[in-house]
Amino acid sequence: MFRRVLVVTLLLAALGVGVVGAQDGVTITWWTQSAAMPSNIQAVLVDAFNAAHPDITLEMTPQENLNETLRVAIQAGEAPDLLVTPGASFIAEFVDAGLVEPLDDAAAELGWADKILDWAYQSGQLGGVLYSIPLTYESLVLFYNKTVFEENGWTPPTNIDEFNAIAAAAEDIGIFPLTYGNATWQPSNEHLMGMYLNAFAGRENVYKALVGEIPWTHESIAGATDLLRQHLVDDVWYSGGLENYFANGGDDIRVELATGDAAMMLSGTWNFRGIGQFFEEAGTEWDWVPIPPMSDMAGEYGYELATGTTVSVNAQSPNKDAAIKALDFLISDPALVLQLAADVGFGEWVVPVHFGVDDFPEGTDERVVRFFSDFAAVTGEGRIGYTTWTFWPNDPNVHLWEAVENVWWGDISVEEYLEEHERLWQIERDSGNLLPVPAPAMGGM
Amino acid sequence: MAATQGTIQPGAVSLGGGSRRRELGRWLFILPVVFLNLVVIVGPALFGVYIAFTDWSGVGSMNFVGLENFARLLQDQVFWKALRNNLVWTAIFLVVPIVLGLLGAYMLTGIRRGQMFMRVAFFVPYVLPSVVTTHIWRYLMHPRVGLGQWLSDTFGIDFLDKAWLGSRDTALYGIAFMDNWHFWGFPLVLLLAAMSAVDVELYEVARLDGASRFQQFRHVTLPSIRPTLVFLLLMIAIWSALVFDYIFLTTGGGPANASEVMGTHLYTTAFERFQTGYAATIGLVMVLWVALVVGGFVYLRKRGWEI
Repeated sequence: MFRRVLVVTLLLAALGVGVVGAQDGVTITWWTQSAAMPSNIQAVLVDAFNAAHPDITLEMTPQENLNETLRVAIQAGEAPDLLVTPGASFIAEFVDAGLVEPLDDAAAELGWADKILDWAYQSGQLGGVLYSIPLTYESLVLFYNKTVFEENGWTPPTNIDEFNAIAAAAEDIGIFPLTYGNATWQPSNEHLMGMYLNAFAGRENVYKALVGEIPWTHESIAGATDLLRQHLVDDVWYSGGLENYFANGGDDIRVELATGDAAMMLSGTWNFRGIGQFFEEAGTEWDWVPIPPMSDMAGEYGYELATGTTVSVNAQSPNKDAAIKALDFLISDPALVLQLAADVGFGEWVVPVHFGVDDFPEGTDERVVRFFSDFAAVTGEGRIGYTTWTFWPNDPNVHLWEAVENVWWGDISVEEYLEEHERLWQIERDSGNLLPVPAPAMGGM
Repeated sequence: MAATQGTIQPGAVSLGGGSRRRELGRWLFILPVVFLNLVVIVGPALFGVYIAFTDWSGVGSMNFVGLENFARLLQDQVFWKALRNNLVWTAIFLVVPIVLGLLGAYMLTGIRRGQMFMRVAFFVPYVLPSVVTTHIWRYLMHPRVGLGQWLSDTFGIDFLDKAWLGSRDTALYGIAFMDNWHFWGFPLVLLLAAMSAVDVELYEVARLDGASRFQQFRHVTLPSIRPTLVFLLLMIAIWSALVFDYIFLTTGGGPANASEVMGTHLYTTAFERFQTGYAATIGLVMVLWVALVVGGFVYLRKRGWEI
């Protein structure tokens, strides 16, 4: 009996030594939003990284409500080694508080400027210092019901005249020209506002407003704001009117498009994730085209730049070097990035690195590959636009999507709305809280 | 109530030095709870009061700005709209679920068979998560695929065929309706329990005196269940200041702030605009609301109201 106990004890002791031995290295923690986490992340990223770095253990933990959880953890001094935020505008706040490690030295040493798309690299900088890397990027396009278009002999619009003509034709056959809604996400208003700003006022004017060269009350901005109001309120193009817009949630608008109740939808490429399911159930086909320029000021079509979540290194982390290695591992392998992105339908984890057509996993939807290929070519020529959640500071950003509803309901005029917007921007300019804005190709109008 | 007042509490009568030691012993037992309360309630609450006077963003340093946030509050039209909506919400909830609960409970007291089933049936919506309730009702109230549209198409009944949550004239009332649907079973069950405890002899005496059913309800039931009723009114008045989830999950406070309440305005201010200092100021108003309600309750008790 005694011998048996002794053997068990020795075995347990040996096991304990083994465990301690495994913990000799460094453990780094990375929290991520659970809804956006690819199911293959453990195998593709975590296990691969840990296998390549025996002295480091990467632990990826999903969080239901990452933003709020992270803010509380930071206050408690319990934040993870890698800080994920919902967007570039959020990181500024953490930088101000000294919570984020500057990454310039690591970036120079590891050649990150060559690995990450130029505009995305710039979007991670504040005051010329690199603080974050976008974990995903996206843009906005015009989705359309291909079946409806083919049945009616329509071709996707490439300019405002064609756009108006299709809208009129859709009304003639008794369907909504466009669908959208904000019932499940009130800030959806900013998707439309951003698209109209870029497609009507044009990239040059939006850029100038962003850097303070023209005020937000400029006629081009006012024209864009009023055109959206006109389409939404006067023309009732969006799902049949304002009240339906406010009642529609994310699923409702995809159903309207897939069933052919609506012809088109201006929305983000995050729809690549899941939109096919709605069309499959409806027995129809979908496709996308770039958003058509809506005025002469807009020039040739471009793509709005949008970074989604960002990742940074916690300045209080005792394992900064290991955390940097994890970031470098992620951005050094385009195929790995695309494996993660493919798992979530290219709606998340599209880390903005240089990938080519061949890097996409076999079986990737042609429409998705076409978007990323065209995006790279077009934005490479400087035909870029600006999404509000990437380039607007928080307070003006909230004002943009919240107070525009008062314009739509006729409580305030477009001028009053933009005057307040300009006032809030001026506060941000005075306090130096502006985000980096890459310049577009000029003179293309 | 009288029995409680007449009960001699153990240790309430001074027994000299031994009593003091027992008193000290009780304090020692309760000390961990007091400490926990100080750490997780009182401390953060005092901190919340302090940050209402700062420009804190939620992380990093904070600067004392005096009464700047309070001055802003006076100018904040969205806040006043939200406060007005909270008052409307309170008025609705002090009336509708209470009246429904009273009626339902009173009718159920006359039922012997199946009462438990009805209790459970009425109470089930209360235990459903708000995210589930709002999801279901958002579809039922949808202007194109909802119940109103179906009634209109099928039976030609048009008056329900509206964008209840999409119109700013009806959004707040639409959400209040769905929250009432979920909530009214709670007062019903409490009131039913209170009514079941009323001495049946009181009803027999009332009947002998020729009291009608309504007079029995008015002069026997209501006075007997007053403590429960007042408790419900008190809690509803407090909860109405804190309402958040149903509105956040359906309209987010829109359209154009039509359903904005202090809770959603606070959330946007703290977690979208990152103006935590100002959000704490809004929070103080909510605290003030609750303090006024509780203060009124305590005042009435001191005036001798049996509540």
